[in-house]
Amino acid sequence: LAVTLEQSDQGCTVRLEGEINIGVAAELKKVLIEALKSKKPVRIEFEGATGVGVTGVQLLWAAEREAERAGVKFARMAGMPQAIAAAVAEAGLEFPMMMAAEPAATA
Amino acid sequence: MTDKYKQAFQEEAREIVAELELALLALNETPEDRELVGRVFRAMHTIKGSGAMFGFDELAGFTHNLENAFDEVRNGRLKVTGELINLSLGALDQIKGMLEETSGPGEKTERILADLRRLTGKGETATAAAAAIAAVPETPTVAGSPTRDWVVRFYPGPGLMRTGADPLLLLRELKRLRSLRMKASMAAVPPLNELDAERCYIGWDMVLTTAAERQAISDVFIFVEDICELTIEPAAAESRGAIDEDAGKNKRDAAAEIALTPVAAEAARKDAEPAAGQREQNSPAIASRGRRETDSGPGAAGGAAANIRVPAARLDQFVDLVGELVTVQARLGELAMRREDPDVVAVAEEIERLTSALRESSMNIRMMPLRSTFEKFRRLVHDLARDLHKEVELTIEGADTELDKTVIDQLSDPLMHLIRNSMDHGIEAPEGRGTAGKRGTAKLHLSAKHSGASVLIGIADDGRGIDAQAVRERAIERKLVAPDAQLTEAEIFSLILAPGFSTAKTITDVSGRGVGMDVVKRSVEALRGTIEIASKPGAGTTVTLKLPLTLAIIDGLLVRIGEAYFVLPLASTLECIELTRQDIERANGKHVANVRGEIIPYIRLREYFDIRTERPEIEQIMVAETEGGRYGFVVDQVLGDHQTVIKNLGRLYRHVNIVSGATILGNGSVALILDPQRLVQEAVRDRAATGRANNREIKGRAHAVGAK
Repeated sequence: LAVTLEQSDQGCTVRLEGEINIGVAAELKKVLIEALKSKKPVRIEFEGATGVGVTGVQLLWAAEREAERAGVKFARMAGMPQAIAAAVAEAGLEFPMMMAAEPAATA
Repeated sequence: MTDKYKQAFQEEAREIVAELELALLALNETPEDRELVGRVFRAMHTIKGSGAMFGFDELAGFTHNLENAFDEVRNGRLKVTGELINLSLGALDQIKGMLEETSGPGEKTERILADLRRLTGKGETATAAAAAIAAVPETPTVAGSPTRDWVVRFYPGPGLMRTGADPLLLLRELKRLRSLRMKASMAAVPPLNELDAERCYIGWDMVLTTAAERQAISDVFIFVEDICELTIEPAAAESRGAIDEDAGKNKRDAAAEIALTPVAAEAARKDAEPAAGQREQNSPAIASRGRRETDSGPGAAGGAAANIRVPAARLDQFVDLVGELVTVQARLGELAMRREDPDVVAVAEEIERLTSALRESSMNIRMMPLRSTFEKFRRLVHDLARDLHKEVELTIEGADTELDKTVIDQLSDPLMHLIRNSMDHGIEAPEGRGTAGKRGTAKLHLSAKHSGASVLIGIADDGRGIDAQAVRERAIERKLVAPDAQLTEAEIFSLILAPGFSTAKTITDVSGRGVGMDVVKRSVEALRGTIEIASKPGAGTTVTLKLPLTLAIIDGLLVRIGEAYFVLPLASTLECIELTRQDIERANGKHVANVRGEIIPYIRLREYFDIRTERPEIEQIMVAETEGGRYGFVVDQVLGDHQTVIKNLGRLYRHVNIVSGATILGNGSVALILDPQRLVQEAVRDRAATGRANNREIKGRAHAVGAK
């Protein structure tokens, strides 16, 4: 699956793999809502992702705002592929989770 | 890439390819037409760009080379020649194959690319071009041209993502024009719960520094121009400054959004909801043009497209349901009459009125102009003329004439056969035309016009015409007619349509009409149409197809014989007259009636269908126009006109030619819909089979069926 959710006592990890595009957008939205509902820290794991499209970016951006409103910690885990960061920046997008990444070990 | 996006692309691309083909053929006629060159270039650019976007990399790579060639034409470095057009048309065939995924890179592709390289002096292999597109190199701009800044505002509309388009790829392509600074606006992104995951809410305000013209910039968005908000304006200093200041910053506060234009200030979320098209119409700077302009006129409410694409199967289902409604309405009408309740009658009449309007509307939905069917023959004529070394000018008239889509769908093949025959056998080579004192370039005229409930389609050429005597001799030789048969010229020409007549090689030498005419006849008859041929030796031939407007519902005349009901198409019915016992006696038992001095043969349907009920004193003859002249069909009673919803009888009855379908009457009983044309043919054939026929039957005259 391109989008998976792992829940533990410490928080939720949304794992993204392959292309995060319109084809998986509905699933990503569902997973993000579910993760935020838990009220536990949410971490996004990009390591297996090969690309992120605009639908993926805006979902993550909206999820981050939602987390802010709800006072839920929302962060990305270290290890975002450079190609994704570059592609997103290239498009002038306000990519969410540009804040300091959490080390992978904390997941 | 999901199938639905891929299919959407394929559908769009097929249309673009068809337009491109026409533009190339038109360019062949007027090689200096700059606008046409632009049209060709933009169409190729769209196919390339959208192909890459939808994962058709080979198609994109191949088209890239073709696009480059036309870029050279656009820049005046390459001339439009017959060779370039033919090469481009061949390339278009390859593109069609790639689009349908029936062909990929191969010998033919490489040969075309090699020819393109030879013509343009540059180019790449398909694979290299595909890789180049994927790598998004910087687009070469006109060397030495001064650059300028453009403010580009691109806000994808609600439906953009669902077409499979990717805004990021468009931005990448824009970047190829040289230098791009941009700011993405997230202001319209709604809260997560309200967000439509398959829609793009992000918009971009950009400053593009390029030597490219406005046209080249708007070409980047050509595939999405009608589903996004797009403005391209020369930059004012403050706009550039605003973009530069904000570029690269992460601003989450929507209130802090910069406003490049007054319109941009409206980009806050609640204002972003209305469709982009509405704002597009207000902006003078919108680079909206091209093939879709007619789709969304000022009347398009809320910016929604005025036209929508509906699968043909859904349309058929709708028409079927209307058909069912017509049937039920007829039952209701009959019930209301029986009950004699004024309230019920009033409701039944209202429903009848509405049903009639609905039926008309549904029929109109099915109607399509013949234009696309006609226009695609330009390519056929072009290719055949080239192959046959003939010069042919195709003219088209009445292309806006509308016909039922089912009829149109089945019309292409017979028309193609007729055009092929005309080009192959009717039209002479230029030298032959010169000897005959004709212009070297032959004329082929394709026309359509309404004629009552029918459409007449004409295929006329100014070729050598048909030698009637040669056709007659050939028909006698093949035992299609007796040596002493008295035939009119029209009857002789109609022999060309007989099966087997045109299979011999010599036919081409004899008559100028060749293979496939019997196929044409069968196809046209399957559409309940007729064919008429007129020709003058040395002057040319005109083939006229008469086709019904629709195959789904017809206006019929309901008749009764005993307890059986039949429907005769109203369009072919001329009049109704009485047939008394005295009339029958006066004709000495022959099945002919004297109608105001004209002897009309008739078929007694009671006998034909072996209906063994008592014959009334006075019967009715429905006189109809058929291919073989006027014929009568004798019935017990004419009940009146009837909106007839045609139901197929199914495979079991597919060989029963005299019946074109059935319909359900208001009382629930079934009435067969008769095909007068076929009835006459069958009657003549039956007569011949019993050995009582004589050669006059070929003319379909009265006595041939009279003694049945």
